[in-house]
Amino acid sequence: MEVQVVADTTEIEVKGLDFYYSGDIHALKNISLSIKKNNVTALIGPSGCGKTTLLRCFNRMHDLYPHNKYAGEIIFQGSNLLSRETDLINLRSRIGMVFQKPIPFPMTIFDNIAYGLKLRGISKKSELAEKVEKALHHAALWDEVKDKIHASAYELSGGQQQRLVIARALAVEPEVLLFDEPTSALDPISTAKIEELAGILKNDITIIIVTHNMQQAARISDWTGFMMLGELIEFDKTDKIFTAPSEKLTEEYITGRFG
Amino acid sequence: MSIFDEELMQLKKTILRMGAMVENALKDSVRSLVERDNDLAKSVIEKDHQINALDVEIDEASIRMIALRQPCAGDLRFITTAMKITTDLERMGDLAVNIAERALELNEEPILKPYIDIPRMREIAQGMTRDALNAFVGRDQRLARDVIMRDDEVDDLKHEVLRELLFFMIQDPSTASRAMKISFVAQYLERFADHATNLAEMVVYLVAGKMIRHMELPAEDS
Repeated sequence: MEVQVVADTTEIEVKGLDFYYSGDIHALKNISLSIKKNNVTALIGPSGCGKTTLLRCFNRMHDLYPHNKYAGEIIFQGSNLLSRETDLINLRSRIGMVFQKPIPFPMTIFDNIAYGLKLRGISKKSELAEKVEKALHHAALWDEVKDKIHASAYELSGGQQQRLVIARALAVEPEVLLFDEPTSALDPISTAKIEELAGILKNDITIIIVTHNMQQAARISDWTGFMMLGELIEFDKTDKIFTAPSEKLTEEYITGRFG
Repeated sequence: MSIFDEELMQLKKTILRMGAMVENALKDSVRSLVERDNDLAKSVIEKDHQINALDVEIDEASIRMIALRQPCAGDLRFITTAMKITTDLERMGDLAVNIAERALELNEEPILKPYIDIPRMREIAQGMTRDALNAFVGRDQRLARDVIMRDDEVDDLKHEVLRELLFFMIQDPSTASRAMKISFVAQYLERFADHATNLAEMVVYLVAGKMIRHMELPAEDS
């Protein structure tokens, strides 16, 4: 077994979280869990179980649509990020998100990453260049793009584009990155690179990942939450979940004897 | 039932078949000694390759399932348990062969003394093996723990036998060769029971997901 020294500090504490779509669809039911700092936490479960809904609560993506309603608390850095006072722009730079399909901006590789930095008020060219390079290194993409940094981002392969958007999220130095099925559109080699990257990134940030691929959850996460019908059925260390889960439902799901 | 479930069932059946062969090998080996039956001893030695073949078959089937099915949780514990159980069973088969070999040697010489504790050891060790395999099939943690407790009885009997044989050797050094061989047999039986204990410990892991090897037997989970 791989022995890792992992910090035991809580990054995000979810307390009695409920979520309703359009005011009446009860999508998350009384969810409580601790997301540990510098760990990878995976959320698994069948389609419609609420795992993506939960992921999107962490940076208030649901606020893009009116009538969605949260109840309960998500404590991040000492305050409830669900409160009205939360500055969403700021929150989404502290807790960044990477989606299923990479969506590069229609501009150069360099500008894709510099964009967020410029919004943040950084305009000095040398500083931008330095931060762009650092982010690309961080996302393990630098060596592949250093000679064509001013080429269009669309020239990159799917796997490279996914690492580009990870670099874009990393450039603003978030504490947490949310991954929503980040490799489901990628081939196995690109998938392996993203998975390896997650293992490296957790030295600096906290990662929460939603995945349909249970082997992926097993490979890259330290903690796993199994969800069903809006409830968190079991939350435990990943090796426990995949060798000897406590709940029968978890066992049935991960061994493919569901339903 | 899914194809994977059928494969798991097949694996279980193969282990039980191997277990039955090992039990028979033990029974026959001790009988060949007690009844001075050289033909029976030879048949135990000859049949060992069948046990070895099943060992390979179970390992190959397990590795194939791990590669192709990527099992986890209870399935993973079942397959890894199968791989460990087969290793122990194979060694138990070898011990039965060792007993048969000593029987062939001892049968050439006059009887030193009637065998009393040796058949008793055989009976307990065989019962432990059968119960460990029953516990495996029935996922019966309690029965497995019972098997583990019985190992001490075999150990005690072995010490009894060795003490007695030592007495013979001191009394009459010309018995030393025979006494040594019988003490080897006692040793093999004691090792056989140790392997049966290993089987039972793996069953506890299979059922409860808890490794209890190399430690004092902890309390059973409710």
